[in-house]
Amino acid sequence: MDLTPRHEVEAPDELRQKMHRRRRRTVLVVALVLIAAMALITAQGLRNATLFFRNADEAVEQRVELGDRRFRIQGRVIPSTVKSESGITTFEIIHDCVVVSIWHSSDPPELFKSPWIPVVLEGSWAIGEIRNVAGSDTHYFASDRMLVKHTNEYASANEQRLTDKAPEGFLDQCLFEGPAAAS
Amino acid sequence: MTSAIHGNAKMTATATTRVLGVLAIAATALMTVLGLLVSPADVIQGEAVRMLYIHVPSIWIAYGAFVLTSVSSVLFLRRRKRREDQGRHYDRLAGSAAEVGVVFTGITLVTGMLWGKVTWGTYWQWDARLTTTVLLFVTYLGYLALRRLPAEPIIRSRRAAVMALISFINVPIVHYSVDWWRTLHQKASLSVGRRPEITGEMYWTLLYSALTVTIVAAWLIIHRYRVIRLEELRDEEALAALISSRLKKDDGSN
Amino acid sequence: MSEVATVVTGWGITFIVIATYSIWVVSRGKIIGQELGIGEMEQLDARKDAGATTDL
Repeated sequence: MDLTPRHEVEAPDELRQKMHRRRRRTVLVVALVLIAAMALITAQGLRNATLFFRNADEAVEQRVELGDRRFRIQGRVIPSTVKSESGITTFEIIHDCVVVSIWHSSDPPELFKSPWIPVVLEGSWAIGEIRNVAGSDTHYFASDRMLVKHTNEYASANEQRLTDKAPEGFLDQCLFEGPAAAS
Repeated sequence: MTSAIHGNAKMTATATTRVLGVLAIAATALMTVLGLLVSPADVIQGEAVRMLYIHVPSIWIAYGAFVLTSVSSVLFLRRRKRREDQGRHYDRLAGSAAEVGVVFTGITLVTGMLWGKVTWGTYWQWDARLTTTVLLFVTYLGYLALRRLPAEPIIRSRRAAVMALISFINVPIVHYSVDWWRTLHQKASLSVGRRPEITGEMYWTLLYSALTVTIVAAWLIIHRYRVIRLEELRDEEALAALISSRLKKDDGSN
Repeated sequence: MSEVATVVTGWGITFIVIATYSIWVVSRGKIIGQELGIGEMEQLDARKDAGATTDL
């Protein structure tokens, strides 16, 4: 015999509604978290994505406006210029025949050793008379973070060997003597 | 009514999907041999290139799954009134494909981060490709959450279909982000009208891996579809039981 | 992490995720099937079952 007072028995409909409400609340919380995550991602993305890096030639062109501001620079590493001493790596990068001397102060990623690898460096312009393969310059780029920008080219290690030769056609338009020849 | 439901319902495995399942396992075994042992190391990346065979097919399949979700959602919105099942077939297809797509997007992100660490020198960078991909992941998670929001089944499906179409806008943005913006991420591995920059054995291993991942995804989508169908049956039964208990109670009190 | 370790980790995580998800999907189907009392239907109906893909 059911002795439970009748007014305390919840009708199935009410029970369902209650369950629905609880579930709805959980899903709303999840939705809010997701919306917040999306906003954060978009904000992060917008800050970086529009101009992720400047190519070496653009960075030289915009040197005055850039001043000592931090930015990212991109170019291919000229293999004959890489020198490493007590944690500092110096080398030169090239893009569109414009050469930039780099003074880099952290451990380069493993793939940095590959000749003519494109790299993205974070840092700023620094004043200093410096000689490079294209002649001389009044500034160099002081960087403390290096990312290797790998290309979408893949080749079997069994068939190809790495050489210091510049990628085909890469230096064709350059007026200065080929940096590869400087080595 | 109950027996009619049961008569139509099948467990998630059938003879066809069992064959598909065995095929998926065999294909994956061969893919592992080809990807990890037979295919050559890369001249620059060395052994790290083997990540290609998981990372790239995963995002292709995710794109494919999201296309399926979108097409099914359009069909749901257009045909639901004309169909006997009120378009629930399309809704189930959209839901199961989206879930599998999310799983593969997640795999793309994780394998990409690991690959990035050995090639770029960092797990993560907020460039356009990585940012839009993580946004894609979160958006479709939102879509899956919306599907779980309690509502009348037909209203819930309609909301989900609209959300699916909105979410899809990001798919071409993710794909073309490497062309539209400067990114740390490399350009597309294969694209229409451009000579592949991948050497023979690597190229064929990549295509074979894509085929394997497609079989695996197909198996997953079919099974997930059937589970959604079972979930619906369970909900219908629960509702029927609730109604009959209510009726009984009403009879008792009278 | 070395190149080989990275590759093994990446492939390993992928296999674990796919296997876990597959098991979850199949077992969820089984559990709901049992709740609905159609757990054994499939074995009984094995021959007719081959045509079940029309469900999709």
